[in-house]
Amino acid sequence: MVRLAVSNLTFSYGASRSPIFDRLNFDLVQGSFNLLIGPSGSGKSTLFKLLAGLYPEYGGIITTGTIQLNNQEVSTLVPYERARHIALLFQNPSRQFAMRTVEEQLTFALENLQLAPQSIPEVVTATLRRFNLESFRQQQLLALSGGEQQRIALATTIAMGSDIILLDEPFANVDQAGRQKLLTILKELQVKYGKTIFICDHDLTGYQQLVDHLYEVDAAHKKVPEISLQRLTTVKKELPVQNRLDKISIFNWQKLSFKSSSRVLLKPHSFQLPKSQVGLLSGANGSGKSTLFAALSHQLKYQGAVYYKSKASERIRLKRWAQIVGVVFQNSTDQFIKLEARAEINLSRQNSLHPLYWTDARITAAIKQLQLTNILDHVNYQLSGGQQKKLQVLSMLIMAQPILLFDEPLAGLDAISLKNVMQLIKKTVTDLEISSLLISHQRAGVTELVDYELLLANQTLTLEEAK
Amino acid sequence: MRKTARKGLNATILTVIMLGVGLQIAFSRSVTLNIIVMLICLAYLLYCRVAPQKLIIMLLIALPLAVGSWWSFIMFGVGDRWHSAWIYGSRVYAYLLLGAILTLTVQVKEILISLSLHAKLSETFVYGLLASFNLLQRIRQQFKLIQYSAQMRGKNYRPWQPALYLRIIIVALHWSEDLAEAMSSQGFSEGYPRTRTFEDPLPHWQWGLALGIIILYFWAAFFIHPW
Repeated sequence: MVRLAVSNLTFSYGASRSPIFDRLNFDLVQGSFNLLIGPSGSGKSTLFKLLAGLYPEYGGIITTGTIQLNNQEVSTLVPYERARHIALLFQNPSRQFAMRTVEEQLTFALENLQLAPQSIPEVVTATLRRFNLESFRQQQLLALSGGEQQRIALATTIAMGSDIILLDEPFANVDQAGRQKLLTILKELQVKYGKTIFICDHDLTGYQQLVDHLYEVDAAHKKVPEISLQRLTTVKKELPVQNRLDKISIFNWQKLSFKSSSRVLLKPHSFQLPKSQVGLLSGANGSGKSTLFAALSHQLKYQGAVYYKSKASERIRLKRWAQIVGVVFQNSTDQFIKLEARAEINLSRQNSLHPLYWTDARITAAIKQLQLTNILDHVNYQLSGGQQKKLQVLSMLIMAQPILLFDEPLAGLDAISLKNVMQLIKKTVTDLEISSLLISHQRAGVTELVDYELLLANQTLTLEEAK
Repeated sequence: MRKTARKGLNATILTVIMLGVGLQIAFSRSVTLNIIVMLICLAYLLYCRVAPQKLIIMLLIALPLAVGSWWSFIMFGVGDRWHSAWIYGSRVYAYLLLGAILTLTVQVKEILISLSLHAKLSETFVYGLLASFNLLQRIRQQFKLIQYSAQMRGKNYRPWQPALYLRIIIVALHWSEDLAEAMSSQGFSEGYPRTRTFEDPLPHWQWGLALGIIILYFWAAFFIHPW
C-alpha cells in the first residue's frame, strides 16, 4: 500500500506572488474514493500537479513543508517509479498525447513503466475493452472528438495500473451516459483493486453513492478541508427544457449534410435557427456536434446550403462570414489572440459589432459578474481552465456576431460561474437578437435556461419535445 | 506497435548507407557513379513497392533544381564545363533518391526507434522528436485555426505577417510544456531503461551489405575515377 501525505505545505507560483496553499496538511486515505470541489482558479489543478510530483519541477516554489509518498519526497522520485504509484489525468486531453494513434499512446505509457513486452498488447486490449474503445485502437488521436480524446486519456491513465489515480475534470467533455459508465469503472477499481481515486469535478451529479471523502478548496484560508458528504445531496436536479422554439429567423440551412473522415455524421437536414434564442445542441461523444459548428462556420466542406438573410452563404467570403457566424471553441486557448486577459477583452471591444451596447460600464459589469476582475493582467495561458472559459466566452459575446455557436462553454465551471456565464449568454442573446446554439454535456442548471433542444443522433437532428 | 512485415532493409542500415554514400558523393566527381546510385536507389524503391506516381512527382519537383545547377555550370563554369554541369545536375537526383530510400520506405517513427535500438541514439531525443513530429500535424491545423479565430475578432492575419508566426510559436511553446509534463506523468524518464514492444530485426549480413556498398563506392570513386 502507498501513503501520500502533504504536511505543512506552502506553495506559490513565484517568489513575489501570494501563495496558493498556506501550511496545508492533507492526507489521502488509502483505497478510498475522493472528490475535490472548489471555484474556478482556486488551485485544484495545482494541488493535483503537486501531488503527482510535477511541481515544483515544472513551475512554482515550495517554501515550506513536504509531499511524501511512502515517506519519500514525491518530486524527487524518478518519473517511472512515481507513475507506478500515482497517475494524473490532465484537464486538457488533447495536450497529453505524445504519440500518433491510440494504440501507440497506450503502449508508450506502458513501455515507460517497463512492463514485459509480451504483456503490453494484452494490457492495451484489456483496457480498451474495459472502456469500450476497441474500435478506436488504430485511430489517429488528432481525428477524435474532444469527448473521445478524454476517454482515451482516461484509459491511458488507468492502464498504467497506478495505486493512486488523480483525475482533473475527467468528464468535462464526456456525455452523461458515458460519464456514468466511467464512474462505475472507477468505483470498481477502488472496491475490487484497492485503488485510491481522487477526482476533481464541478458537476456533482452521480457522485452521491460513490464518494467516501469530499474536499473543498478554501481559497480564503488557502487550505483544503474535508467537508460533509451532505453537500452531494443538494445537487441541482436537471429541469426539463422548455420548448419555446421561435419562428423568426435570419439563418437557416437546407439539406445540410457532412462527413468526417468518410463517416457520415449528418444526413440531409433542414432547419431555421430562431433569433434571440439559445438552443441546446446535445448528442453523444463523436456524434458530430463540433463538426456541425465547423460546417456552419465554413471550416469544413459540406453538402447543401446555409442561408443568412436569405442569401446563400457559400458566396460570402470567409473573412466576411467570420463576422456573421462566431464560434466559441471547445479549447479555450484556440480562441486567444492576445497574451493577456485585458488585451483580449480590449480587442473585442475595438471590433465589436455592437459597440453601442458594449459600453465600458457594461463590460466592467460583465467582467465583475464573471469574477475576472483580479486576473485581467494575467497571461491567458496561465489562467485556470475555468477562467480561460469565462474570458473566452466574454470576448466572443462582446464581438456579438448575429449567429453565435458555443462549443462546451460551461465545461469545467463551478456552479456559480456556470450560472453567471449562462445568464450573461442568455441576456446578450436576447438583447442583441442573436441566434445561438450551445453544446453542453452538463445539463443541471442549463436546461431550464435554454429555449429548445436539438439532439444529434443517428446522423440526424431532431427537436426534443418537452417531456 | 506490432512487428511490421516490411519489405526491404532495416532503417538503421538505410541511414548508414545514405550517410556513408552521401558523404562520398560530395567529393567524388563522377557522372557514371551518380547514375549508378540513382538507378540502384530507383530499383530499390520499386522493389519496396513505393507508388510509381509518387516517384514521378518527386522526380519532377526536383527537375528545376537539377536543371538549374546544370545550367549554371554551363553558363558560368570554368574548366570542363560539360563534365561539371552533368556532375552537379545528376548529383541532385543521386541525393534525392538516396534520401528517398529511407524516407519513402520507412516511417519516421520506425527510423527513430530503429536508430535508438541499433545506433544508441538517446531515447529522450527519439521520443522528444517523435512527439514534436506528431505536434507538427497539429500545428498545421492550428495555423488555420489562428487565422480564423483572428478573423472572428475582426483581425486579419496574412500568411506573410510575422504576428501570425509569433502566435504559432507561443502556442507551440505552451503545448511543448504541457507535453513534457504529460510525458513525465506517464512515466517517461530520461536516462532510464524502458521496455519495447517494437521489434526491429537487424541481421548481421545487413551490416555487411552496408559496409560493402560504402567501401565499393569509395574504391570506385577514388581509385577508378569513372567519367
